[in-house]
Amino acid sequence: MKKLGFRIWLLIIILIVSLLSIFVSSYGFTLFQKGVLITSVEQNSTSFEQGLRQGQIITSIDGKAINNITDYSNYIQGKFPSEKEVKTIITTKEADIILYSNHAPNITVSHIPKTSLKMGLDLAGGARALVRAQDRELSSDEINDLVSITLNRFNAYGLSDMKVRPISDLSGNRFMLIEIAGATPKDLKSMIENQGKFEAKIGNQTVFVGGDRDVASVCRNDATCARIETCQQDSSGGYFCKFIFTIYLSEEAAKRHANITGNMEINATNPEYLSKPLDLYLDDSLVETLLISKDLKGQVTTQIAISGSGSGTTEDEALKTAEEDMKKLQTILITGSLPYKLEIVKLDTISPLLGRDFMKYIIFAGIAALLTASLVIFIRYRNLKNSLTVILISFSEIIIILGIAALIDWNLDLASIAGILATIGTGFDDQVVLLDESKHKVSLTLKQRLKRAFAIIMGAYFTVLVSLLPLLWAGGGLLKGFAITTIIGISVGVFITRPTFSAILKRMED
Amino acid sequence: MEEQQNQETHKKNWHDRNYKLLLLIPLAMLIFSFVYMGIFYSQHNDFFLKDISLMGGTSVTINGNTDIIALKEALVKEFGEVNVREVSDLITGEQLATIVETTAKAEDIKLFLEDYLGYELMEGENSSFESTDPSLGKSFYNQLLIAILVSFVFMAIVVFIIFKNLVSSGAVIISAFADILMTLVAVNLLGIKMSSAGIIALLMLIGYSVDTDILLTNRVLKRQEGSLNERLVGAFKTGITMTLTSLVAVAVALFVVKSFSVTLTQIFTILVIGLIFDIFNTWVTNVSILKWYVNSREKSE
Repeated sequence: MKKLGFRIWLLIIILIVSLLSIFVSSYGFTLFQKGVLITSVEQNSTSFEQGLRQGQIITSIDGKAINNITDYSNYIQGKFPSEKEVKTIITTKEADIILYSNHAPNITVSHIPKTSLKMGLDLAGGARALVRAQDRELSSDEINDLVSITLNRFNAYGLSDMKVRPISDLSGNRFMLIEIAGATPKDLKSMIENQGKFEAKIGNQTVFVGGDRDVASVCRNDATCARIETCQQDSSGGYFCKFIFTIYLSEEAAKRHANITGNMEINATNPEYLSKPLDLYLDDSLVETLLISKDLKGQVTTQIAISGSGSGTTEDEALKTAEEDMKKLQTILITGSLPYKLEIVKLDTISPLLGRDFMKYIIFAGIAALLTASLVIFIRYRNLKNSLTVILISFSEIIIILGIAALIDWNLDLASIAGILATIGTGFDDQVVLLDESKHKVSLTLKQRLKRAFAIIMGAYFTVLVSLLPLLWAGGGLLKGFAITTIIGISVGVFITRPTFSAILKRMED
Repeated sequence: MEEQQNQETHKKNWHDRNYKLLLLIPLAMLIFSFVYMGIFYSQHNDFFLKDISLMGGTSVTINGNTDIIALKEALVKEFGEVNVREVSDLITGEQLATIVETTAKAEDIKLFLEDYLGYELMEGENSSFESTDPSLGKSFYNQLLIAILVSFVFMAIVVFIIFKNLVSSGAVIISAFADILMTLVAVNLLGIKMSSAGIIALLMLIGYSVDTDILLTNRVLKRQEGSLNERLVGAFKTGITMTLTSLVAVAVALFVVKSFSVTLTQIFTILVIGLIFDIFNTWVTNVSILKWYVNSREKSE
């Protein structure tokens, strides 16, 4: 067999990597796994104590196979008819867990994702919260402010596809409605209910508060200034991990720090430090106490290292909790506190806007469309090999885009699907250009002809590329998703898959 | 052999004689489009009709277990497009409520639902009514319009860099713009209510439109082999294959999704209309402008 050229090998390797990133998720290879996925476990519940954890997969209850969400909810709903305590045996992939309770286990479950692709709100539904200010009626302006602060905070926290908007009931009461894809209702609850009032005090005096007036910047995603420092076992057999990250105070806050520490004495018992520590309060409860080095007395210092810790029953759990706590604290310091205390009026899950079978219809329509388009190619060029190659190349483009989406944790929504469609469209166009050019009766070698074809393809590519750039800034998430997916798609096409098509054409000629 | 040559020269001569006149057709269509959109805007205060996602409306939450599919069918028959979603308990997954979103007025939907369900809907007890703001506000439109304007300017610059030619840049831009404008007019004439998906579909047309125009311009301006008309015919063969593959694919997809999803139907309908206009705008409008330019360039040499 002839050696496959560089381009073809490159495409094959990229395809394999894409397929791996699509089908292998943090839960492993779950394409054919039956059961339900535990998405959250209430901390102080029997379920947690007995060992149920987020991320585990339930395969049967009381020996009865649980294959999907419907099985689970039907079975659970029928299990607790009265106030009597009932025994439940939950079988996960790892172990059998036995619970005694008179109510449903305090866990939330979802269907097991078949791929590592994340779906947006419209395609997969999500958690939904109806929120209002505690003890207050908010005016329309205040609600709008609240909406933008919340969006800000959620963005900083890295939560992706979500809708936050003001709604009012017929009596004129105003609420904020939050819908988030993928995030568990527990995340949502804690994000909303924690007003996030952060204060750093020495004694009774406030040195700085969260928010951009006092905090100029917060180190995140940079291992040199934000990281988990150590993980240790404590006396009771659990683990705790310490995190630390740097923040930079504004000049005003730094001066305040200098003023307050300037009047303090050195600690008698611990002469390296000042007499009073820096206390960190979150929502009025003390979370951490930091000793202040004596060198900082009276100094206008803008850099402060914030530390804290997270605990768990295993080292992994402690690590995870520490990371989450660090992230939360970072977000609160960046965005400041919510203006009032919020309460959740309703918290539930909502089905996708576009219907559960939406994806099925899209895939079906996509395959039908792909085949029909290839038929047109076949009629025009009367060459089966060409038509098959075109199908293959277009298919590769879809797989690679999805692979990239899986790698960068992109939420697939309607806009991204449109982007994929746009890419396939230009893909066929470019391949037709290449095919025509290769058959052109002109005194040039095939290589030269294909090069000319690429002049056309590149021209079209750059024109479409710049036309999409303004969309990256306008219209919020909706158009941005379309623009990004299309840009990724056509770039993959022009630089990877379509040159491979041209390489295949050359080989077919030889 | 001579017969064929005569036939071909005869055909080419018709186009050679009439290509400038052909420009009158797109010109007339563009004038009609501008006038129509002007009238439309004054009547509706916007460039297109909006569906629930863009306009906001009433959201009714009905407590309890309802058959969503049957309810949706009944609602669609009466009110046209509606969104129906299910709300379920966090832990048991039991259906708690159904949410119906519609642009219809609260009173109308309330009456219909009470009739359908067979019981009275009381706020706070077995249901709740909310009015929703549109998910995309006024600032979105302004941003979008500016973004589209900037898009066209950028495109013109890139095309100019490629072909170093004002006329050809202009022709590509006019062609792309005409595609979108004429499609929008058709959408409004058909009474289609645009959703956010529809806006995306309109933007997809830019990509499809540009592909064929760049192909045409490249073959005409950057190649030397054959006469102008031969190059045009060659470009036409390639270009029409390009557009036909897309058109056929989209038409098949439209046929498949028609009974399943209003959103997808809208996207594919807009694409079908847009691609048909693209055939027209590339091979009549753009061709005539280019030919005019090339011929006048040759005359002045």
